[in-house]
Amino acid sequence: MKTNLKFRRVAAIGAGMTPFRRRMLETPQELAWEASRKALDEAGLELRDIDCVVIGSAPDAFDGVHMKGEYLAHGAGGVMKPASRVYVGGATGVMTAISGWYHVASGMCKKVLAVAEEKMSPGRPHPQAVFRYIWDPITEKPLNPNLIWIFAMEMHRYMFVNKISKEEIALVSVKNKRNAANNPYAQLGGEITVDDVLRSEVLVWPVQLLDVSPVSDGAAAMVFVDGDIARRYTDTPIWVEGVGWTLDNTSWPNRELAYPRYLENAARMAYRMAGIERPQREIDVVEPYDPFDYKELHHLEGLMLARKGEAPLLLKEGFFDRDGDIPSSPSGGLLGVGNPIAAAGLMKVISIYWQLKGTAGKMQVKRPVHTGVAQAWGDLMQASTVIVMRN
Amino acid sequence: MSWDKHGKEDELLTWKDVMEVERYVYTVGPDSEAFLRGLREGKILGRKCPRCGRVYVPPRLYCEDCFLENGEYVEVKEPYLDSFTTIYFDNREKRLDEPITVGLVRFKEATGGLLAIVQGIPEIGKKVEILEYSIPLRVRA
Repeated sequence: MKTNLKFRRVAAIGAGMTPFRRRMLETPQELAWEASRKALDEAGLELRDIDCVVIGSAPDAFDGVHMKGEYLAHGAGGVMKPASRVYVGGATGVMTAISGWYHVASGMCKKVLAVAEEKMSPGRPHPQAVFRYIWDPITEKPLNPNLIWIFAMEMHRYMFVNKISKEEIALVSVKNKRNAANNPYAQLGGEITVDDVLRSEVLVWPVQLLDVSPVSDGAAAMVFVDGDIARRYTDTPIWVEGVGWTLDNTSWPNRELAYPRYLENAARMAYRMAGIERPQREIDVVEPYDPFDYKELHHLEGLMLARKGEAPLLLKEGFFDRDGDIPSSPSGGLLGVGNPIAAAGLMKVISIYWQLKGTAGKMQVKRPVHTGVAQAWGDLMQASTVIVMRN
Repeated sequence: MSWDKHGKEDELLTWKDVMEVERYVYTVGPDSEAFLRGLREGKILGRKCPRCGRVYVPPRLYCEDCFLENGEYVEVKEPYLDSFTTIYFDNREKRLDEPITVGLVRFKEATGGLLAIVQGIPEIGKKVEILEYSIPLRVRA
């Protein structure tokens, strides 16, 4: 059943991104410009055609520039235009696309440029230090937790509740890095084995080096236009059919860690809007957020593409492979392409956009695809954003 | 600072901590690299948009209006003082021994400008002489 909402149809007509790398020489503004320029070129538009700009970026402290939205504005084409910044932690990338969508869907703008940028490399000793202050300052902060610890606990809980082994989870890393080998923008594509993952350095048990995505710099951008004018610019507009987002409680100890309920809520919101009743039958390709390998499985379950605890079984059967029933992370995901937070989320949307348009090149999945889903996740593992697109 | 109310530590009214990344290493980007090399040679470089002809100082990879990649680097000349201010207190509210004059130095037929420490008698619109090609620039009005 479709919802009875009234909004204008929105199409994606262009996308562009920079390569994702550990230390890009370009400044954040230059990265944003490169991605924006490519997106405009693909859309066949110039900056003067754009009504409004949405900029997505995670904490200012990554790039080391406060008011990063404003700082990025001229590289993102936002000068003297209605420009706004979106920020919901790691979920920002997909939220940037969603925000681009509602600027058009509301009828306010006809053509929107949505740009996401993140430069993780300037902070020393490591960008993880930025996360030192997302905790309760009194009850949690004194132990100096970092996000990897907390995800390690979530991973451990997920493994325990669903009786999943490290070997099964490592298959995600193997699949995504293999997919990334076909992605010209990827930082860490290649052939690895489950053994490589299990023998890699232990960071925070059960998280090992090859279980986690790298530190990256990069930018990504997309152009969204009103459905009525989309065919002036392209014969193959990709339609944004559903969006959803949820924020769970920041008091993460209150929550069952083995299942992302907040993601299920966000997915249900997006699916209802897109008229999807049986996600596993109706969705052809998916880009779940995978900063850690277990997160992809966790998110596939939250997206209701696998029953609780069954994503590893389907993965082992090849269900989520590039030639499988529902290819998952055909781009290579964050594990393979890299993880410049906001840009990584928008990269997921771009991957689905290219898949549906049929222009994904060597990344193109084997079966024909009509409905795709991209998802991102972030804040204190509490936020999820979901977008459904069709061709 | 005088308006701060101090709680009693032993009654746990406050919890003290610092919030910092230890340090940052910024990449200057290809354009700033050219700019910094120019400074070393005693030149102020700008970069010109091939479409609208605007010259950006400091050099910029792209024109923010035309949204195209900028073209050649050009040396900009005839620096003048666009505005200036005289500072008597530092950021921590301490009175300076000697007030400092800083100004915005622009260049003829160029967009943008550079912050500079100004010596001499400043006047808006007045031509200045660059004494030190550094960051910040040091000029004499």
